[in-house]
Amino acid sequence: MRRRKVLGAAGLAGAALAALPAGTSAHGISQRADVPIPEEVFVFGASGVLVVSFVLLAFFWPTEKLERETWRPIGKGDPRGAQPAFWQVIDVFCGAVGVLLLGLVLWAGFDGVQTPAANVVPTFVYVIFWNGLVLISILFGDVFRAFNPWRAAAIPAAWIAGRVAKGPLPPTLRYPEGLGRLPAALGLALFAALELVIDDGNLPRNVAIATLIYSIATWVGMALYGIETWLDRGEAFSVYFNLFSRVSPLERRNGVLGLRKPLSGLTGVTQLPGTVLFVAVMIGSVTFDGFKEGPTFTSWTPHLSDFWNSLGFSLKHSLELANLVGLIGAIAAIWGFYEIGVRGARTVGGGFSQARLARAFVHSLVPIAFAYVAAHYMTQLLFQGQAMAYLGSDPLGRGWNLFGGRDSGIDYGVIGATATWYWQVGFVVLGHVAGLVLAHDRALVLYDDAREAVRSQYWLLFVMVGFTSLALWLLSKANA
Amino acid sequence: MTLPLAHAGHWLESVVYLVPIVGFGLWLAYTTIQDRRRQRREGGDDADG
Repeated sequence: MRRRKVLGAAGLAGAALAALPAGTSAHGISQRADVPIPEEVFVFGASGVLVVSFVLLAFFWPTEKLERETWRPIGKGDPRGAQPAFWQVIDVFCGAVGVLLLGLVLWAGFDGVQTPAANVVPTFVYVIFWNGLVLISILFGDVFRAFNPWRAAAIPAAWIAGRVAKGPLPPTLRYPEGLGRLPAALGLALFAALELVIDDGNLPRNVAIATLIYSIATWVGMALYGIETWLDRGEAFSVYFNLFSRVSPLERRNGVLGLRKPLSGLTGVTQLPGTVLFVAVMIGSVTFDGFKEGPTFTSWTPHLSDFWNSLGFSLKHSLELANLVGLIGAIAAIWGFYEIGVRGARTVGGGFSQARLARAFVHSLVPIAFAYVAAHYMTQLLFQGQAMAYLGSDPLGRGWNLFGGRDSGIDYGVIGATATWYWQVGFVVLGHVAGLVLAHDRALVLYDDAREAVRSQYWLLFVMVGFTSLALWLLSKANA
Repeated sequence: MTLPLAHAGHWLESVVYLVPIVGFGLWLAYTTIQDRRRQRREGGDDADG
């Protein structure tokens, strides 16, 4: 029975794959000049890959593989031993670099030229930090933790405060359990709003002001609730990069570097309130960025803007409010769609609450978030990332040539349109297949009955197919 | 006023992206209904027995 149902899903996808490409090549469907088949066809291919992956998992992945502890130290490291001196030095060095970079952002933002293309701040924050660090986290683990300037500054500050107080510092407040990762989700949404909603959010001074406000808020949070508690729940970037780093096979524990199965780190994500919203912000903000560039939102913007303008807002603020509606709408759409999938999964049994099940599977959305980031921002990282050569030599835009790179330029030929599209589709498919694997593995642990486990995954597959279609649609519109 | 049909190509290519998810959703709805019917039948059989 179970096999028949699973094969039914495969059959449906197969039929779609076989029948629809012919239809999509009919009149009215555009085709990219440099892609041999219409872009629309890729959505059937990608969905087909997901369905086939689902079937393969159902047949050949009968017991959990990622939920087990797989971490092993590299070499002779002892995870229970003291932190090796080597790593302590590395931590101090990376922390110092992080603090220096934070200082550079503030200095260049407040004191540099206010042309975004000539000042290092927008490129460093929105391209290198925001996109580049995602890729580094996926490959090498939680690198940001070492470079986190707020953590690096808070640790010695707490030590100095203890010395000055000449006694134990007052205990930190008990973190409200119900708050979970909601502060981090809010922080991430505000950062997305700075980039995507605020009209001059890329103005160096505005980025510096936002950085300063965020820094103060972070240190206050750390002082109130403790450094580690705030990093785990309130500091948006720590939560963001830590989630991505859990895809990586590399992890440091107690100062010892070790290897684990790729993706297995995600099974250890604590299921705190606000985590689903946080991941919805991760995917929703990228969704809005793609949607904003396409013709659909562009055609809505005047109407939304007129509405706010009729309420007395200035034209500039009306446009910002229109963007805000779009951003909130995108996050709500992602969240809502996931919750629909979870609601469906509840119908198969198990007796789980909606919130419990939503949190149980939320880790499976992290590779999808990476797929969205990689597919949407890869070209930006490849092209605009090169600007760091001259911006690094002249960070304030004053005509300096510190490292001799002032006269370098951007080579837009590093990747072509066709290669970009294939890479984007590859990231989207791979991210969603990884999500399926994680959801399948979790279901095997969660459900006592194997049949219920597989049936719950029909709904998660539904979510994955939806996110795949959305990602490819957004890419096709943004690239048009 | 322009007929939506005249610009079908513009929105049709977006509709194409919905086909997999709508198709899968319909299949899911169908299997869910079938399962509920089966469960009701099994429940009825148990009550009779």
